[in-house]
Amino acid sequence: MSSFPNTDCRLLVHPPSDGAWNMAVDEYLLGWTVRSGCCCWRFYQWSEPTLSLGYFQEYSDREAHAPSRDCRVVRRASGGGAILHDRELTYSFTVPATHPLARRRLWLYGAVHQVLIGLLAARGVTARPFGEVKPGGRAPFLCFNRRSAGDLLVGEAKIIGSAQRRLAGAVLQHGSVLVARSPAAPELPGLEEVTQRAWPVQELIDTWQQCLAEGLGLRWRNEPLSGEERIEVARITAEKYASPQWTWGKKRRGGKTSQDR
Amino acid sequence: MTPEELLYRKTHEWVAVETDATGAKIATVGISAFALEALTDLVYIDLPEAGRKVSAGEPFGEVESVKAVSDLYSPVAGEIIEVNSALTDQLEGLSEDPYGKGWLVKIRISDEAALSELLDYAAYQKQCQEEMADD
Repeated sequence: MSSFPNTDCRLLVHPPSDGAWNMAVDEYLLGWTVRSGCCCWRFYQWSEPTLSLGYFQEYSDREAHAPSRDCRVVRRASGGGAILHDRELTYSFTVPATHPLARRRLWLYGAVHQVLIGLLAARGVTARPFGEVKPGGRAPFLCFNRRSAGDLLVGEAKIIGSAQRRLAGAVLQHGSVLVARSPAAPELPGLEEVTQRAWPVQELIDTWQQCLAEGLGLRWRNEPLSGEERIEVARITAEKYASPQWTWGKKRRGGKTSQDR
Repeated sequence: MTPEELLYRKTHEWVAVETDATGAKIATVGISAFALEALTDLVYIDLPEAGRKVSAGEPFGEVESVKAVSDLYSPVAGEIIEVNSALTDQLEGLSEDPYGKGWLVKIRISDEAALSELLDYAAYQKQCQEEMADD
């Protein structure tokens, strides 16, 4: 049973798509949640291996990661480190600021990750949230090489990484479940490597959807993007996430950086 | 200024309004201690250049903490005339002294209408208590 109130939630399941389009959909849904006051959960994947940079990461930082140098790049609106999206299942969840889940940023991470812990446990896999983070030091370039409070580990491997963009009216949380190791990030094992079994993505989607309904009290409402919504997403894609200025032009000011903590 | 003397936006920015030698009203803007505690591990802040004009409720900067990027909203309309750029190198100043060294920007107010929508200390405390109660 969920400890959260039952909540109607729009559900979108998208096939593998271009990185800029994927980020534009998430931004569109954040605005949609601000306007409608409704939640939306989205499952998606990537049509080619793509490196997504955290909002404040410098483009040139990618040079430090040789295996992904030939991959396309997109910049996220959320924080944290870079993610190599390849053999993974990605989710986004937009929640109105007034919803109990959105009140504290760590709660939303914890709630989504806790559902995944339950899903894995039902299949005999023990996952645990990472404990307290010791401050100081330079954080690694890749999100999955970093450790933040609430990150989900199987053994010592981080298998889900999530990040947020918060507006006055709503919060967007999106994240990746590493299903299997990518040649473009060979240092990161996925669920298949750490559990020694296959994790078909469709099965993961179906099960996670069911666990979310039970764990977070979400009542699903299938509502694909309308034609008008797709036009708006195309505009956001062209003007923002596919633009060189957005992807390459972000410059940090000052000596403290999002790589530090 | 003490917290009791300030005004607050619902999104947790505080404002101190003073009149300068020319008679212009200047708003000093920062983030409340309550919000800073909720932000926890702050890693980066991006503030605007002086000279930028903002309207009330418009984002003027961004902060990142625990992989979350949040907008900072201007409580008033006007021109940003001064920016506390030292914060980008010394974020600890924000948490150590949120109502002093941790100020973010000073704005020359062009329209005072939005001031009436801000909360006084008692109303802001009530909002914070309600948010805590939801926890």
